[in-house]
Amino acid sequence: MSTTPLSSKHDMKADMLRESTSVDPSPQAATPLAPVSGKSARVRRKPPVNLWLGGAIVLGVLFCAVFAPWLAPHNPLDQDLLHMLSPPAWMAGGDAAFPLGTDSLGRDVLSRLLYGSRIALTVAVIAAFGAGIVGSVLAILAGYFGGWVDRSISYLVDLWMSFPPVVLSLVLMVSLGVGIENVILSIVLVDWTRFCRVVRSEVMVVRQRDYVLAAQLLNFTHLRIMLREILPAALPLMITLFSLEMGVAITVEALLSFIGLSVPANVTAWGVMIADARVTMHESLSGLLFPVLAIVITVLGCNLLGDGLRVALDPRMRSKGE
Amino acid sequence: MLRLISTVLSRRLIAAIPTLLMLSLIVFVVLRLIPADPLAMMLPPNATPADAALLRHQLGLDKPIPSQFLIWIVNALHGNLGASISFQQPVATLIGSTLPATLELCLAALVISLIISVPGGVFAYAVTDRRGELPVSFAVVLMQSVPSFLWALLLIALLGVYLPVLPFSGRVGDGIPMPHLTGFLLIDFLVKGQFSDWLSAASHLVLPSLALAFGFAPLVIRVLRSSLLDQRNESYVGVARLRGVSESRILWRHMLKNAALPALTMIGVQFGFLFGGALLVEMIFSFPGVGNLMVQAVRNNDLVLIQGIAIVFCALMLVINAIVDTLYVIMNPRLRKTA
Repeated sequence: MSTTPLSSKHDMKADMLRESTSVDPSPQAATPLAPVSGKSARVRRKPPVNLWLGGAIVLGVLFCAVFAPWLAPHNPLDQDLLHMLSPPAWMAGGDAAFPLGTDSLGRDVLSRLLYGSRIALTVAVIAAFGAGIVGSVLAILAGYFGGWVDRSISYLVDLWMSFPPVVLSLVLMVSLGVGIENVILSIVLVDWTRFCRVVRSEVMVVRQRDYVLAAQLLNFTHLRIMLREILPAALPLMITLFSLEMGVAITVEALLSFIGLSVPANVTAWGVMIADARVTMHESLSGLLFPVLAIVITVLGCNLLGDGLRVALDPRMRSKGE
Repeated sequence: MLRLISTVLSRRLIAAIPTLLMLSLIVFVVLRLIPADPLAMMLPPNATPADAALLRHQLGLDKPIPSQFLIWIVNALHGNLGASISFQQPVATLIGSTLPATLELCLAALVISLIISVPGGVFAYAVTDRRGELPVSFAVVLMQSVPSFLWALLLIALLGVYLPVLPFSGRVGDGIPMPHLTGFLLIDFLVKGQFSDWLSAASHLVLPSLALAFGFAPLVIRVLRSSLLDQRNESYVGVARLRGVSESRILWRHMLKNAALPALTMIGVQFGFLFGGALLVEMIFSFPGVGNLMVQAVRNNDLVLIQGIAIVFCALMLVINAIVDTLYVIMNPRLRKTA
């Protein structure tokens, strides 16, 4: 008994991320009872709106980040003290030179948003990649070998998950010191468990498949089986998690730069913009809303892309058209 | 039943002790790897190396890390978590005076998020495979994409600044003395019969707990929806249908009970999410809780305080998970026999 709730909890945690991938066991749900006419088949096949919308948002932000120096009308750090807290161009008192207005030091909000996307995406991609590598390697080792390897890695995951994540990030940031590379490192060190626990349960399923047994019978090395048989089967799940983790990383970076723990003062990040705009909230709300919107839209893009990928990359879901 | 509860709960709590020790060790070691010297803040600018060595010795920082850890653990067991460098007060006192505020906030947020997410989850399930599915699932993903601290700022902008209807700073209005009974203001003012002060405390709690709840609710909605989907093809649903039980009764009275279990587990696992959210939300609302204290400690590089708060948060997480495990056993009769 002592292990039952724990192990069931483990599966449940995995389910949280994989929730709608669960395939209906009953035949009645899997196949429509009525003969499939062309029309009903079209109705059942929902277009992958999430995938395209999320992908478009992420690509759009990527475009802004890469071409920020060409797109931005001003230098993000240039202060124009004659135009402090000016509203967006379309509002009364706005200036066409500052399309989204200026902040309390007369810096152009649009340019700062564009440059801020560089920080957000850099952190998102590298941190998600790092967390994915660390978590997945441990997950494959744990799921493939089982036994004491699995027990010790699972213990580590359980231990890590007893930390409230933000508290652990703060402790790590205090210890590592301010800086973008430390933000990335702390996200990796906090969020590898997200990959580990989900990928592990997938690997444990894959390990039981016939082709893995066949590979073992052919006396392939463990490394080869893990890389050539297990990894490809777990890869779709890892890609999905990667996309979701990008959203988490963007949120955490914004949060840390909001407190002032992320980037040095001469670097523009969305969280810094929010912290600055919060001070002058009573005079101007627009300076606060734009960086908030930037974060929300980008994170939404990552989440939609993750949801869309989960459906698109799972052959069982694809045939159901769900 | 009561015996069962106490057995399970105490067993879970005892099992959590080694975990807490390991967590303390991790926090302790991580904070000792720090590049900055914690002494630098405590010494006056004209201190000599001899002063530094003396202070180092007084604080026990010249001993090896394992013995420092042992000393700290023994002190912690006696309720002494050390003294905060920046506040010049015992860490335990600081945490003790702020913890009720955080717990009150998190509990209020939990209640609000359940009020939102139980009907929300049922609704999200009910529209599955219908026309409403796409907009509803989009709305849930959108809600999920806004972290609590951004909800906090948006709520302040909307209901504090643009339409100034609710207060957004502190726990009570200016000039209202703290009752100092339990620390839970909603209880204290009620016990003392100060109803206008109670209203003030409640109105100060609205925005921060809404911000936390909005961040938490989408998670619960998603889990509830997917566990309702899992229940859809269970045989008891078919049996109830054959007996002529109405669809809404099947959904609310039968399926929801079974679907609540995974959601309960998720709430336990994700409680750390609430605490994490509370950190920033408290800071934004100048809410005098542990989270706000933590942010100040981090800004002041107050290692002793950071360490104490981190451990208290971990301990809370473990206690909450023990409670959730116990509730799980109570609510799931299948686990009861083996327990």
